[in-house]
Parts: sequence; structure tokens; C-alpha cells
Amino acid sequence: MITVGIDLGTQTVKAVVLKDGAVVSRGKAFSGFDPAKSAQQAVDEALKEAKFSLSDVNHVTATGSGMEMAPNANSTISMMGADAQAGVFLFPKARTIIDVGAEEARAVKCDDNGIMMDFVVNERCAAGAGAFIEAMARALEVKLEDMGPLSLKAERASPINASCVIFGESDVVTLIHRQESKPEIARAIFDAMADRISSMVHRLGVNPDVVLVGGVAKDVGFVASLKRKLSIDVLIPEYPEYAGALGAALVAVRRAKKV
Amino acid sequence: MKSKSEERRYVPEISQKEVEELRSTIKAASQKIIAENIERMKKTAENRPEEMKYFDDIANFFGTREKEIRAAKEKGRKVIGYMCLFAPTELILAADAIPIRVNSGWYDTAKLGDRVVPVEVCPVIRSTIGAKMIGLSPYLELSDALISVLTCDGMTKLGEILSDYKPVWAMTIPRVKDSAQSLRLWNDEIKAMKSQIEALTGNKIDRKKLKSAIELTQKATKAFRRLQELRKGAPVIMGRDAMLVNQTYMWDDIKRWTEKTEALCEELEKRAQNKMWACPPDTPRVMVTGTPMIWPDNWKLPTLVEEGTPQGVLVADELCSSERLLYDPVGVDEWNMSDMFNAIAERYLMASTCPCFTSKDGNEDRINWLLTKIKDWNIQGVIYYVHRGCMLYAMEYTRVKKVLDDIHVPVYYLDTEYTREDVGQMKTRVEAFLEMLTARIDI
Repeated sequence: MITVGIDLGTQTVKAVVLKDGAVVSRGKAFSGFDPAKSAQQAVDEALKEAKFSLSDVNHVTATGSGMEMAPNANSTISMMGADAQAGVFLFPKARTIIDVGAEEARAVKCDDNGIMMDFVVNERCAAGAGAFIEAMARALEVKLEDMGPLSLKAERASPINASCVIFGESDVVTLIHRQESKPEIARAIFDAMADRISSMVHRLGVNPDVVLVGGVAKDVGFVASLKRKLSIDVLIPEYPEYAGALGAALVAVRRAKKV
Repeated sequence: MKSKSEERRYVPEISQKEVEELRSTIKAASQKIIAENIERMKKTAENRPEEMKYFDDIANFFGTREKEIRAAKEKGRKVIGYMCLFAPTELILAADAIPIRVNSGWYDTAKLGDRVVPVEVCPVIRSTIGAKMIGLSPYLELSDALISVLTCDGMTKLGEILSDYKPVWAMTIPRVKDSAQSLRLWNDEIKAMKSQIEALTGNKIDRKKLKSAIELTQKATKAFRRLQELRKGAPVIMGRDAMLVNQTYMWDDIKRWTEKTEALCEELEKRAQNKMWACPPDTPRVMVTGTPMIWPDNWKLPTLVEEGTPQGVLVADELCSSERLLYDPVGVDEWNMSDMFNAIAERYLMASTCPCFTSKDGNEDRINWLLTKIKDWNIQGVIYYVHRGCMLYAMEYTRVKKVLDDIHVPVYYLDTEYTREDVGQMKTRVEAFLEMLTARIDI
């Protein structure tokens, strides 16, 4: 049985192809102005790699903020539902899944079948999500991918406000004027984000094992800060940004069987 | 130079031209939204009850009911508006005046209110100020006086601001519900209100008139409860339709509203017998609790729930704009003035579950309401709805969440504003919540 999961995120679209419930390929494209077209690209890329065509596919499930625009989707699942499925598939003992994407952070509590029991989402502002790191990297004139490694060199932490991207940025400017070093400012940025996300997770309750997914899970600086704030080990899969698409593809397996 | 009495103390001057422009734009948008909401409600409810037609008509702020009230005023009847539901409507009715609740549900006028109070203030307050600034609400405009019950901070200051335009009668309501001195104070407030109403209307409230006014609202309560009872079983009416019926009580003629609600219940009972459901009987049953949802704009949450994928159905609520309006009857022992006043005082104060109040054991009346509803109405999930700026509802969440966690009923905290822009985000959350309620069947 071939199933496809598509995650139409705010910045990128991800697709995962499963054969009999095992991952065979992945595809990715920038969401851009035409998310439906990007989704098609991501799916085509993944299917091509797996050497399947669309007609071989039994069921397509879409997730993500743009899920309603997904081409050829047979069904949809919420991002939280997809996270829970993927988290437990990747780490069977996972009970809390944290997903930090470009513009949203969320945490899901689930049972041993990967069924969502409760969830929380960051409020309105993207200060707890990837877009915050991007904005701050610009302020520091540092490449996005260098932010994490840079922050690990910090010797101490300076607190900043991360309730809002704009206020956060003006706090960073204050640190720049105070001539703090770049590593310390980078660390301050990740600490502030991790602070927000950890209080969000605490509202839900921290039930181990805790899994971190989403594009931001690839950032070593953020991961280090989050582990410090939660004082607990956080499991990260090999392809964290594909978790949503994987969850959707897993749901597709069950739905295909039901039909 | 303007004389001191003409000068507004709170609201900045706006040019007549701007007022006219804003009123005509917002009114046109509002008429469109009223029609759209009703269309969408018709689309959601397969075979929508015939009797809903009446309520659809009354739901139009710029239609039949406005004309009726205008005509009544021309014949000399007075209109008394009120903000919180603690205003003793029985006294207004006994003086042959028309009671009308004037809290605003218009999103666009909240932005105008921002010129008077900070954006952090509860949007119901900001929107009501804005509606008055441009004369948008016919009911607020037609009011000869306003009763402002000092419940929360926002309501307290709203009364002051509206006194720029209308006579405003403040009523102090005690915050501790279950003490003898509280009830004495509230009783005195109600008696003082009687004199105010009599002076305005020129009608004396005597025993006979008060008795028939109480009997009128008792009958309304009976019809109201009959409707809520019908929502206990498989869904025979969509939640939005029931909420609209409940809400029209705030501005409709009470006698006619009662008859029409009884007629609707008649129809619904027949439908229940024929197993004619408004949506599939296994649709997740949702309750909302929190800040009011006022027609026509602030209808987004019920719309998201009942038009969602998966779909949910609202079968109960704990909102002062819906089920809390009329659920509790005035219980009179002896039909003498003193007993009637006591009964009115108790009905408004003791029965309230608003987080403005506390008692020996906190606001457990609210908890008990929620638990009863969950059990008897078979609720599968609760949405805790808070307007940003409502500190009281926000603060009571931890208590409610704890109680609901203990009985394993999922609850989701959703905070929002008087704005249309966050509907996309809200949809994601509401649908994830509904999906969670159906998850065990679905996946």
C-alpha cells in the first residue's frame, strides 16, 4: 500500500511517501505564492525518488496551515494530530511532542497509540517560532545557519524579551549598543524562545518522553536552550521538519485500510 | 463656546460628516453580515425548523423590531436599555416600558472605541462605546435611559462614558453573593431603581402590575428551559439556531418571544419523535463557556464549530448572551411587594455564575453549572472562550480546567478579539479540538 502525507507549512511544503507504513522518500519545496503548486512539486519529487506515480497511491492526507489547498488530497488531519502520530511512530515512548515551525510553535500530549489528548499553541506572535531566529539573525548580520553554533560559544546569558518579535528586536539592539558579544546575544535569543516554549509546554504538562520536531529542531542553539529550560532530555528525529508530513502519511495508511 | 452641560466629558468630538459616513458604511456591512450569518445557518442545518423564520426576522437590528419600538415610543412608551443582565427587567415591564439589552457585538465599532479607551480594554466595552459614537445601534439610540450594573471594571466605566449621551442609572451589585448584608444592599438598589423607573415613565409600579410582569418573565423562562431541555438528546436543533433564539430575548417583545419559542419547541418535539435530526447524532457535542457572544459579528466561534471539519454541535453553553439570560426563574412565595422584591433580588444575584462574583466557596456555582450541563447534556468537550481584556474569565480558567481534567472532559482555552482577522488561526485550533473529540472513532 502506498500513501502520501503532505504538510503545507507557512514557509515550506513537505511530502512523505510510505510503502506499507515505512518511509520510502521525501520531498520539499518553498511554499511561496502558490502553495498548491509547491505541494505538487514536493509530492512529485518524492514520488519520483520512490519510482511511483500518483496512480499507485492509495490515499493522500494533507496537514499544515494550507492543508485545504493540497492537490489530490483524499483527507486532512490537524497539525497537532499529525504531530502526535509521527512522534509515537518515531519514538514509541513519546508522550509529549513539541513542534517548532517557521511561524508557529505547538505542543501535543498523546497516548500510546499516538492519539492526541490535549494541545497548546503559541499565541499570536511568532516570537516563539523560527521566524524570530531569522529576524534576529538579520539584526546580528549573521547567517541563519550560523546562529546556533555561535550561541554555543557564549559564556553567559543576557535576558531579552521574546513576547513579540518587534520588542525582541529592540532588546537585541539594546544589547548591541551595550557591546555584548554576538555569541551572547545569539544565546539570549534562543533562551528567550526556549523560555516561551517551555512555559507553553508546562501548561500542558511535561510527560516524558519529549520529542522535538519541526524545522527549528535542526538548530543546535535552540535545542541546547530548550533542554536547559525544560531540564529534561529531548529526543529529535533524523528529519524533524518532515514530522507533520510523516504523521499525515501514517493517518493515510489507516484511512486507506478503512475504505 | 459650549455650555458645560453640553460638553462631553469622555468622548472626543467627531465631525457629523465622519459620523454619517462611518454609520452608513458599518450599517451596510452589518446588514450584509446578518443576512450572511443566517444563510450559513440555513445551509448547516438540514431542514432547518420552520419556526426559525420568525427569529431570523427579529435578528435583524434594522428591521421589524426597530420599527415596532419606534412606533411604541411615538405613543409615549419609554425604552430602558441595560448592559449587564442584572437589570431588573420585571420592574421595567411593570412600568409599561420596554427593556432592551444594548451590549454591542459589532467588530467594526470596537476600533472606534479605541479612540476613547485603550485597546487592552474588553472588546464588548470598546464596541459599545464605538456603536454609540456613530449612533449605529437602533436600540441604544432609542433608549431613554440606561441601567448600568457595576459588575466588572469595564462595565463600571462604560456607564460613565455613555453618560455623555444618555441618563445612566448605576446599580451597585455586591460581589459576595451569599451574605445577608449583600442581599440587603442589592434589595435596596432594586427598590431605588423602582423609583427611577417610575419617575421616568410616570407609571406607578403597583403589586398587580409587578405580579403580571413577573408572571410574564416566568412564562418566558418556562419556554426557554423547554428549549434547552430539547437539546439534551440527539441534536434536534443546531447550536447557532438555539443561541439566536436565546439571544433575541434581549430585544424582542417578551410575550411574543415566549409564544414563538413555545411554537418552535412544539415543532422540535415532533421532529425528535420522528428522529429528524439537525445533524448526525454522533456529531461531537460541545459546550462553550466564557465571555458573551453577541450577534451579529461575534458569531465566529459557533460558526467555526458547526461548520468545521470535523463538524461539532453546540448543545449547551454558559454564556450571559445565551443560556444564562433566562435560565433561572423569579421564585415568589407570597405575591406581596416585599416578597416579590426579594425574589427579584435573589434571582439576579444568587443565580449568577459570572466570575465577577465570589462566595464562601469561591465561584463554585459556575463549576456546578458546568458539571450539571456536562452530565445531563452529555457534553464531550468544552471550549473556554475569552475576549482578550476579560481578566475575570481568564483568571477562572485554571479552576475550571482542574475540575474538567478530573472528570476527563477535554477543555480548550481560546482567546480572541473583536476582529475577523484571526478566524484562520482559530479554525486550526477549533478543528484540532474537534478532531481530538472524534479521534478514537476516526483514526
